Amino acid sequence: MTSAYSVWVMEYAAVPNYPQSGLIYGMHNQGTRKLPYCYVVIKGQGQLAMVDVGYNHKAHGEVLANTYGVRGWHSPHAVLGEIGIQPQDISTIFITHAHFDHMGNIEDFPNATFYLEERELSKWVWTMSLHRRFRWLMLGIDPADIMRAVDLARQGRLVCVEGDRENVLPGVDLHAAFDTHTWGSMYVTVRNDLATNSQNSFVFCGDLAYGYENLRGHDPDDPEYIPIGLATGSQFGVIMTADAMVKSVGGDVHRVIPPHEERLKDLYPSRITKNGLRITELALADGEKSQVR
Amino acid sequence: MTTLEKMSGQVDDATASYIVQNQRCFEDLKQVASQLAGLLVLAAAGSKNAQPDHPMLASAGELFREAQDAVRRARPTERAQKHYEHLARAAAEIGVALKEAGDQLKSDRVLIPLRAGYAELERAADALPGFEKVAYERACCGLGRAQ
Repeated sequence: MTSAYSVWVMEYAAVPNYPQSGLIYGMHNQGTRKLPYCYVVIKGQGQLAMVDVGYNHKAHGEVLANTYGVRGWHSPHAVLGEIGIQPQDISTIFITHAHFDHMGNIEDFPNATFYLEERELSKWVWTMSLHRRFRWLMLGIDPADIMRAVDLARQGRLVCVEGDRENVLPGVDLHAAFDTHTWGSMYVTVRNDLATNSQNSFVFCGDLAYGYENLRGHDPDDPEYIPIGLATGSQFGVIMTADAMVKSVGGDVHRVIPPHEERLKDLYPSRITKNGLRITELALADGEKSQVR
Repeated sequence: MTTLEKMSGQVDDATASYIVQNQRCFEDLKQVASQLAGLLVLAAAGSKNAQPDHPMLASAGELFREAQDAVRRARPTERAQKHYEHLARAAAEIGVALKEAGDQLKSDRVLIPLRAGYAELERAADALPGFEKVAYERACCGLGRAQ
Protein backbone atom coordinates (compact mmCIF):
# COMPACT_ATOMS: atom_id res chain seq x y z
CA MET A 1 0.00 0.00 0.00
CA THR A 2 1.46 3.35 -1.06
CA SER A 3 1.95 5.85 1.76
CA ALA A 4 2.54 9.53 1.25
CA TYR A 5 3.33 10.14 4.90
CA SER A 6 5.14 8.50 7.76
CA VAL A 7 3.14 8.80 10.96
CA TRP A 8 4.30 8.27 14.53
CA VAL A 9 2.47 8.57 17.83
CA MET A 10 4.99 9.92 20.34
CA GLU A 11 4.43 9.42 24.07
CA TYR A 12 5.76 12.34 26.13
CA ALA A 13 4.39 11.51 29.60
CA ALA A 14 1.85 9.17 31.19
CA VAL A 15 -0.42 8.58 34.15
CA PRO A 16 0.19 4.97 35.25
CA ASN A 17 -3.14 4.55 37.05
CA TYR A 18 -5.98 6.55 35.58
CA PRO A 19 -9.59 5.74 36.52
CA GLN A 20 -11.43 4.05 33.66
CA SER A 21 -14.53 6.09 34.48
CA GLY A 22 -12.75 9.25 33.34
CA LEU A 23 -12.26 7.75 29.90
CA ILE A 24 -15.22 5.54 29.15
CA TYR A 25 -18.63 6.75 30.24
CA GLY A 26 -20.15 4.54 32.90
CA MET A 27 -17.05 2.54 33.87
CA HIS A 28 -17.32 3.52 37.51
CA ASN A 29 -15.48 1.45 40.11
CA GLN A 30 -13.85 -0.65 37.42
CA GLY A 31 -10.24 0.12 38.17
CA THR A 32 -7.57 2.04 36.35
CA ARG A 33 -5.45 1.85 33.25
CA LYS A 34 -2.32 3.55 31.96
CA LEU A 35 -3.09 6.85 30.25
CA PRO A 36 -0.26 7.87 27.92
CA TYR A 37 0.04 11.52 26.89
CA CYS A 38 1.03 11.67 23.23
CA TYR A 39 1.30 13.83 20.19
CA VAL A 40 1.44 12.77 16.56
CA VAL A 41 4.15 13.46 13.97
CA ILE A 42 3.30 13.43 10.26
CA LYS A 43 6.24 13.49 7.84
CA GLY A 44 6.18 13.42 4.05
CA GLN A 45 5.46 15.42 0.90
CA GLY A 46 8.15 17.86 2.05
CA GLN A 47 6.15 18.55 5.21
CA LEU A 48 6.71 18.06 8.91
CA ALA A 49 3.48 18.41 10.85
CA MET A 50 2.13 17.49 14.25
CA VAL A 51 -1.23 16.95 15.87
CA ASP A 52 -1.10 18.70 19.28
CA VAL A 53 2.02 19.67 21.21
CA GLY A 54 1.61 18.47 24.79
CA TYR A 55 2.08 20.62 27.86
CA ASN A 56 4.83 22.80 29.26
CA HIS A 57 6.56 21.08 32.15
CA LYS A 58 7.95 24.31 33.56
CA ALA A 59 4.43 25.66 34.00
CA HIS A 60 2.57 22.53 35.05
CA GLY A 61 4.98 19.70 35.67
CA GLU A 62 5.42 19.82 39.42
CA VAL A 63 1.71 19.98 40.23
CA LEU A 64 0.83 17.33 37.66
CA ALA A 65 3.56 15.01 38.88
CA ASN A 66 3.02 15.43 42.60
CA THR A 67 -0.73 15.77 42.78
CA TYR A 68 -2.09 14.04 39.71
CA GLY A 69 0.42 11.29 39.16
CA VAL A 70 1.70 12.28 35.71
CA ARG A 71 5.05 10.58 35.18
CA GLY A 72 7.97 10.66 32.79
CA TRP A 73 7.47 13.99 31.04
CA HIS A 74 10.13 14.70 28.45
CA SER A 75 10.57 17.73 26.25
CA PRO A 76 9.72 17.78 22.54
CA HIS A 77 13.47 18.09 21.97
CA ALA A 78 14.03 14.70 23.63
CA VAL A 79 10.86 13.04 22.33
CA LEU A 80 11.17 14.12 18.70
CA GLY A 81 14.93 13.60 18.78
CA GLU A 82 14.25 9.86 18.96
CA ILE A 83 13.07 9.98 15.35
CA GLY A 84 15.66 12.50 14.20
CA ILE A 85 13.46 15.57 14.31
CA GLN A 86 13.86 18.81 16.23
CA PRO A 87 10.95 21.02 17.33
CA GLN A 88 12.18 23.89 15.18
CA ASP A 89 11.82 21.62 12.11
CA ILE A 90 8.04 21.41 12.55
CA SER A 91 6.22 23.68 10.11
CA THR A 92 2.54 22.88 10.72
CA ILE A 93 0.65 21.99 13.89
CA PHE A 94 -3.01 21.08 14.23
CA ILE A 95 -4.45 21.73 17.69
CA THR A 96 -7.40 19.43 18.25
CA HIS A 97 -8.60 21.50 21.22
CA ALA A 98 -7.29 24.10 23.63
CA HIS A 99 -6.75 22.03 26.76
CA PHE A 100 -3.33 22.61 28.27
CA ASP A 101 -2.13 19.03 27.70
CA HIS A 102 -2.73 19.43 23.95
CA MET A 103 -1.92 23.11 23.37
CA GLY A 104 0.30 23.92 26.33
CA ASN A 105 3.70 23.83 24.67
CA ILE A 106 3.36 26.06 21.65
CA GLU A 107 6.40 28.11 22.54
CA ASP A 108 8.65 25.11 21.89
CA PHE A 109 7.78 25.21 18.18
CA PRO A 110 9.10 28.56 16.97
CA ASN A 111 8.69 27.96 13.25
CA ALA A 112 5.29 26.30 13.13
CA THR A 113 1.96 27.65 11.95
CA PHE A 114 -0.86 26.52 14.24
CA TYR A 115 -4.35 25.57 13.08
CA LEU A 116 -7.21 25.81 15.59
CA GLU A 117 -10.95 26.06 15.18
CA GLU A 118 -12.08 29.69 15.54
CA ARG A 119 -15.02 28.47 17.61
CA GLU A 120 -12.64 26.91 20.13
CA LEU A 121 -11.14 30.33 20.74
CA SER A 122 -14.24 32.46 20.58
CA LYS A 123 -16.31 30.19 22.83
CA TRP A 124 -13.58 30.07 25.45
CA VAL A 125 -13.52 33.84 25.37
CA TRP A 126 -17.29 33.91 25.75
CA THR A 127 -17.06 31.45 28.63
CA MET A 128 -14.66 33.75 30.39
CA SER A 129 -17.31 36.44 30.46
CA LEU A 130 -19.68 34.26 32.48
CA HIS A 131 -20.10 34.41 36.24
CA ARG A 132 -17.62 32.36 38.24
CA ARG A 133 -20.29 29.80 39.06
CA PHE A 134 -19.79 28.64 35.44
CA ARG A 135 -16.07 28.11 35.93
CA TRP A 136 -16.32 24.37 35.34
CA LEU A 137 -16.69 25.28 31.68
CA MET A 138 -13.14 26.62 31.76
CA LEU A 139 -11.70 23.26 32.73
CA GLY A 140 -8.31 22.45 31.29
CA ILE A 141 -7.68 25.94 29.98
CA ASP A 142 -4.45 27.68 30.92
CA PRO A 143 -4.68 31.49 30.59
CA ALA A 144 -0.96 31.50 29.76
CA ASP A 145 -1.73 29.50 26.61
CA ILE A 146 -4.20 32.15 25.55
CA MET A 147 -1.52 34.78 26.04
CA ARG A 148 0.95 32.77 23.98
CA ALA A 149 -1.71 32.49 21.29
CA VAL A 150 -1.74 36.29 21.09
CA ASP A 151 1.88 36.19 20.00
CA LEU A 152 1.14 33.48 17.45
CA ALA A 153 -1.69 35.51 15.98
CA ARG A 154 0.44 38.66 15.80
CA GLN A 155 3.19 36.76 14.04
CA GLY A 156 0.67 35.41 11.54
CA ARG A 157 1.26 31.88 12.82
CA LEU A 158 -2.27 31.22 14.08
CA VAL A 159 -4.83 30.12 11.53
CA CYS A 160 -8.37 30.17 12.84
CA VAL A 161 -10.29 27.56 10.89
CA GLU A 162 -14.04 27.91 10.49
CA GLY A 163 -15.54 24.44 10.12
CA ASP A 164 -14.02 21.82 7.85
CA ARG A 165 -11.05 22.43 5.60
CA GLU A 166 -9.68 20.01 3.01
CA ASN A 167 -6.10 19.60 1.85
CA VAL A 168 -4.53 21.88 4.43
CA LEU A 169 -1.54 19.83 3.46
CA PRO A 170 -1.77 17.40 0.54
CA GLY A 171 -4.22 14.70 1.66
CA VAL A 172 -4.67 16.20 5.13
CA ASP A 173 -8.14 17.43 6.11
CA LEU A 174 -9.48 19.16 9.22
CA HIS A 175 -12.96 18.36 10.48
CA ALA A 176 -14.91 20.40 13.00
CA ALA A 177 -16.51 18.55 15.91
CA PHE A 178 -18.36 21.37 17.60
CA ASP A 179 -19.89 21.05 21.07
CA THR A 180 -18.32 17.68 21.81
CA HIS A 181 -15.32 17.24 24.12
CA THR A 182 -14.96 21.02 23.87
CA TRP A 183 -16.73 23.86 22.10
CA GLY A 184 -14.59 23.77 18.99
CA SER A 185 -12.75 20.47 18.86
CA MET A 186 -11.41 19.23 15.56
CA TYR A 187 -10.12 15.93 14.25
CA VAL A 188 -7.51 15.46 11.56
CA THR A 189 -7.73 13.03 8.66
CA VAL A 190 -4.65 11.91 6.76
CA ARG A 191 -5.48 10.33 3.41
CA ASN A 192 -2.21 8.54 3.06
CA ASP A 193 -2.75 7.53 -0.54
CA LEU A 194 -3.73 11.16 -1.32
CA ALA A 195 -6.87 9.83 -3.00
CA THR A 196 -10.20 11.61 -2.63
CA ASN A 197 -11.92 8.34 -1.72
CA SER A 198 -9.01 7.08 0.28
CA GLN A 199 -8.47 3.42 1.08
CA ASN A 200 -5.56 4.27 3.38
CA SER A 201 -6.57 6.96 5.80
CA PHE A 202 -6.13 7.66 9.49
CA VAL A 203 -8.12 9.88 11.80
CA PHE A 204 -6.36 11.66 14.67
CA CYS A 205 -9.13 12.33 17.11
CA GLY A 206 -7.61 14.28 20.01
CA ASP A 207 -9.84 13.63 23.01
CA LEU A 208 -12.95 12.83 20.98
CA ALA A 209 -12.13 9.24 21.93
CA TYR A 210 -9.84 8.21 24.75
CA GLY A 211 -9.85 4.50 24.00
CA TYR A 212 -11.28 1.96 21.60
CA GLU A 213 -14.26 1.30 23.87
CA ASN A 214 -15.49 4.77 22.87
CA LEU A 215 -15.53 3.63 19.24
CA ARG A 216 -16.65 0.01 19.43
CA GLY A 217 -18.02 -0.55 22.95
CA HIS A 218 -17.11 -3.51 25.13
CA ASP A 219 -18.24 -6.30 22.84
CA PRO A 220 -16.44 -6.43 19.47
CA ASP A 221 -19.17 -8.75 18.16
CA ASP A 222 -21.84 -6.19 18.90
CA PRO A 223 -20.18 -2.79 18.56
CA GLU A 224 -21.63 0.43 19.91
CA TYR A 225 -20.39 3.94 20.58
CA ILE A 226 -19.83 4.84 24.23
CA PRO A 227 -19.10 8.46 25.10
CA ILE A 228 -15.93 9.68 26.70
CA GLY A 229 -15.90 10.43 30.41
CA LEU A 230 -15.60 14.19 30.02
CA ALA A 231 -17.37 16.56 27.66
CA THR A 232 -17.97 20.29 27.82
CA GLY A 233 -20.38 19.88 24.93
CA SER A 234 -22.82 17.02 24.57
CA GLN A 235 -22.45 13.27 24.65
CA PHE A 236 -24.78 13.21 21.65
CA GLY A 237 -22.20 15.24 19.75
CA VAL A 238 -19.42 12.93 20.90
CA ILE A 239 -21.30 9.86 19.66
CA MET A 240 -22.24 11.35 16.31
CA THR A 241 -18.65 12.46 15.81
CA ALA A 242 -17.43 8.96 16.67
CA ASP A 243 -19.69 7.64 13.94
CA ALA A 244 -18.41 10.20 11.43
CA MET A 245 -14.80 9.35 12.26
CA VAL A 246 -15.32 5.59 12.00
CA LYS A 247 -17.20 5.93 8.72
CA SER A 248 -14.45 8.11 7.29
CA VAL A 249 -11.98 5.24 7.66
CA GLY A 250 -14.30 2.70 6.13
CA GLY A 251 -15.43 1.28 9.45
CA ASP A 252 -11.98 0.18 10.60
CA VAL A 253 -11.93 1.61 14.15
CA HIS A 254 -8.22 0.89 14.48
CA ARG A 255 -7.55 3.62 11.94
CA VAL A 256 -9.05 6.13 14.33
CA ILE A 257 -6.13 7.01 16.59
CA PRO A 258 -6.87 8.15 20.15
CA PRO A 259 -3.60 9.60 21.45
CA HIS A 260 -4.39 8.45 24.99
CA GLU A 261 -4.92 4.81 23.92
CA GLU A 262 -2.20 2.57 25.37
CA ARG A 263 -3.26 -0.39 23.22
CA LEU A 264 -2.04 1.19 20.00
CA LYS A 265 1.07 -0.86 20.72
CA ASP A 266 -0.96 -4.03 20.16
CA LEU A 267 -2.03 -2.85 16.71
CA TYR A 268 1.06 -1.18 15.30
CA PRO A 269 4.81 -1.68 15.62
CA SER A 270 6.39 0.25 18.43
CA ARG A 271 9.40 0.56 20.70
CA ILE A 272 10.26 1.98 24.10
CA THR A 273 12.90 4.72 24.13
CA LYS A 274 15.73 5.07 26.63
CA ASN A 275 13.48 7.50 28.50
CA GLY A 276 10.79 4.85 28.90
CA LEU A 277 8.44 6.44 26.40
CA ARG A 278 6.74 4.59 23.56
CA ILE A 279 6.95 5.43 19.87
CA THR A 280 4.24 3.83 17.77
CA GLU A 281 4.69 3.73 14.02
CA LEU A 282 1.39 3.89 12.16
CA ALA A 283 2.73 4.28 8.64
CA LEU A 284 5.95 4.68 6.72
CA ALA A 285 6.18 6.81 3.63
CA ASP A 286 7.66 5.12 0.62
CA GLY A 287 11.42 4.99 1.09
CA GLU A 288 11.32 6.08 4.75
CA LYS A 289 13.28 4.09 7.33
CA SER A 290 11.45 2.58 10.28
CA GLN A 291 12.06 4.30 13.61
CA VAL A 292 10.91 1.36 15.71
CA ARG A 293 12.62 -1.69 14.28
CA MET B 1 -13.18 19.13 50.93
CA THR B 2 -12.92 22.79 51.90
CA THR B 3 -9.79 24.84 51.32
CA LEU B 4 -9.18 25.04 55.07
CA GLU B 5 -9.26 21.25 55.32
CA LYS B 6 -6.90 20.94 52.35
CA MET B 7 -4.47 23.41 53.92
CA SER B 8 -4.49 21.60 57.25
CA GLY B 9 -0.93 20.66 58.15
CA GLN B 10 0.56 22.54 55.18
CA VAL B 11 0.52 26.04 56.66
CA ASP B 12 -0.27 27.69 59.99
CA ASP B 13 -3.86 28.64 60.77
CA ALA B 14 -3.42 32.35 60.13
CA THR B 15 -1.87 31.69 56.72
CA ALA B 16 -4.62 29.17 55.91
CA SER B 17 -7.10 31.90 56.71
CA TYR B 18 -5.22 34.31 54.40
CA ILE B 19 -5.37 31.70 51.64
CA VAL B 20 -9.10 31.22 52.03
CA GLN B 21 -9.73 34.96 52.04
CA ASN B 22 -7.62 35.63 48.97
CA GLN B 23 -8.33 32.69 46.70
CA ARG B 24 -11.26 34.52 45.24
CA CYS B 25 -9.32 37.63 44.34
CA PHE B 26 -6.53 35.51 42.84
CA GLU B 27 -9.13 33.71 40.72
CA ASP B 28 -10.74 37.01 39.77
CA LEU B 29 -7.43 38.51 38.64
CA LYS B 30 -6.74 35.36 36.63
CA GLN B 31 -10.18 35.68 35.09
CA VAL B 32 -9.61 39.33 34.15
CA ALA B 33 -6.24 38.43 32.63
CA SER B 34 -7.87 35.58 30.69
CA GLN B 35 -10.65 37.83 29.43
CA LEU B 36 -8.18 40.41 28.22
CA ALA B 37 -5.94 37.79 26.63
CA GLY B 38 -8.93 36.24 24.91
CA LEU B 39 -9.92 39.57 23.41
CA LEU B 40 -6.33 40.18 22.32
CA VAL B 41 -6.23 36.82 20.52
CA LEU B 42 -9.47 37.52 18.72
CA ALA B 43 -8.26 41.02 17.79
CA ALA B 44 -4.91 39.72 16.57
CA ALA B 45 -6.63 36.95 14.62
CA GLY B 46 -8.73 39.56 12.85
CA SER B 47 -12.09 39.11 14.56
CA LYS B 48 -14.38 42.04 13.95
CA ASN B 49 -16.01 41.54 17.34
CA ALA B 50 -12.85 42.25 19.30
CA GLN B 51 -13.09 46.03 19.75
CA PRO B 52 -12.45 48.30 22.74
CA ASP B 53 -16.22 48.57 23.25
CA HIS B 54 -16.59 44.78 23.62
CA PRO B 55 -18.99 44.12 26.55
CA MET B 56 -16.50 41.75 28.14
CA LEU B 57 -14.17 44.66 28.83
CA ALA B 58 -16.85 46.22 31.03
CA SER B 59 -17.38 42.99 32.97
CA ALA B 60 -13.61 42.55 33.26
CA GLY B 61 -13.39 46.07 34.66
CA GLU B 62 -16.04 45.36 37.25
CA LEU B 63 -14.36 42.13 38.31
CA PHE B 64 -11.02 43.89 38.46
CA ARG B 65 -12.32 46.56 40.82
CA GLU B 66 -13.61 43.86 43.20
CA ALA B 67 -10.28 42.06 43.06
CA GLN B 68 -8.35 45.28 43.57
CA ASP B 69 -10.41 46.09 46.68
CA ALA B 70 -9.77 42.59 48.01
CA VAL B 71 -6.02 42.98 47.48
CA ARG B 72 -6.08 46.26 49.40
CA ARG B 73 -7.93 44.63 52.28
CA ALA B 74 -5.65 41.59 52.47
CA ARG B 75 -3.52 41.20 55.60
CA PRO B 76 -0.75 38.72 54.84
CA THR B 77 1.05 36.72 57.49
CA GLU B 78 4.81 36.51 57.38
CA ARG B 79 4.52 33.19 55.52
CA ALA B 80 2.15 34.80 53.01
CA GLN B 81 4.11 38.03 52.51
CA LYS B 82 5.82 36.93 49.29
CA HIS B 83 2.52 35.73 47.88
CA TYR B 84 0.90 39.03 48.70
CA GLU B 85 3.65 41.03 47.00
CA HIS B 86 3.17 39.07 43.78
CA LEU B 87 -0.60 39.44 44.05
CA ALA B 88 -0.35 43.20 44.53
CA ARG B 89 2.04 43.56 41.59
CA ALA B 90 -0.28 41.40 39.47
CA ALA B 91 -3.20 43.67 40.28
CA ALA B 92 -1.19 46.77 39.39
CA GLU B 93 -0.02 45.38 36.03
CA ILE B 94 -3.39 43.97 35.04
CA GLY B 95 -4.96 47.29 35.97
CA VAL B 96 -2.64 49.06 33.54
CA ALA B 97 -3.45 46.53 30.80
CA LEU B 98 -7.17 46.98 31.38
CA LYS B 99 -6.92 50.74 31.17
CA GLU B 100 -4.93 50.59 27.93
CA ALA B 101 -7.36 48.06 26.43
CA GLY B 102 -10.07 50.68 26.54
CA ASP B 103 -8.16 52.57 23.83
CA GLN B 104 -6.57 50.00 21.57
CA LEU B 105 -6.76 46.22 21.84
CA LYS B 106 -3.94 45.48 19.42
CA SER B 107 -1.38 47.57 21.20
CA ASP B 108 1.70 46.31 23.04
CA ARG B 109 0.62 48.72 25.76
CA VAL B 110 -1.98 46.08 26.65
CA LEU B 111 -0.03 42.91 26.10
CA ILE B 112 3.18 43.84 27.93
CA PRO B 113 1.60 44.71 31.30
CA LEU B 114 -0.87 41.86 30.89
CA ARG B 115 1.93 39.36 30.43
CA ALA B 116 3.79 40.86 33.38
CA GLY B 117 0.65 40.69 35.52
CA TYR B 118 0.00 37.09 34.64
CA ALA B 119 3.62 36.19 35.38
CA GLU B 120 3.11 37.71 38.86
CA LEU B 121 0.03 35.55 39.32
CA GLU B 122 2.08 32.49 38.39
CA ARG B 123 4.70 33.47 40.96
CA ALA B 124 1.98 33.99 43.54
CA ALA B 125 0.62 30.50 42.80
CA ASP B 126 4.10 29.08 43.36
CA ALA B 127 4.53 30.96 46.64
CA LEU B 128 1.69 29.35 48.60
CA PRO B 129 -0.50 26.26 48.29
CA GLY B 130 -4.14 26.72 47.39
CA PHE B 131 -3.67 28.92 44.33
CA GLU B 132 -3.75 27.02 41.04
CA LYS B 133 -2.72 28.36 37.66
CA VAL B 134 -5.01 25.87 35.95
CA ALA B 135 -8.05 24.24 37.54
CA TYR B 136 -6.48 20.81 37.29
CA GLU B 137 -9.13 19.29 39.55
CA ARG B 138 -11.74 20.01 36.93
CA ALA B 139 -9.56 18.94 33.99
CA CYS B 140 -9.14 15.47 32.52
CA CYS B 141 -5.98 14.92 34.53
CA GLY B 142 -7.80 15.70 37.77
CA LEU B 143 -9.13 12.17 37.87
CA GLY B 144 -5.65 10.73 38.10
CA ARG B 145 -4.19 11.01 41.57
CA ALA B 146 -0.60 10.48 42.61
CA GLN B 147 -0.20 7.05 44.17
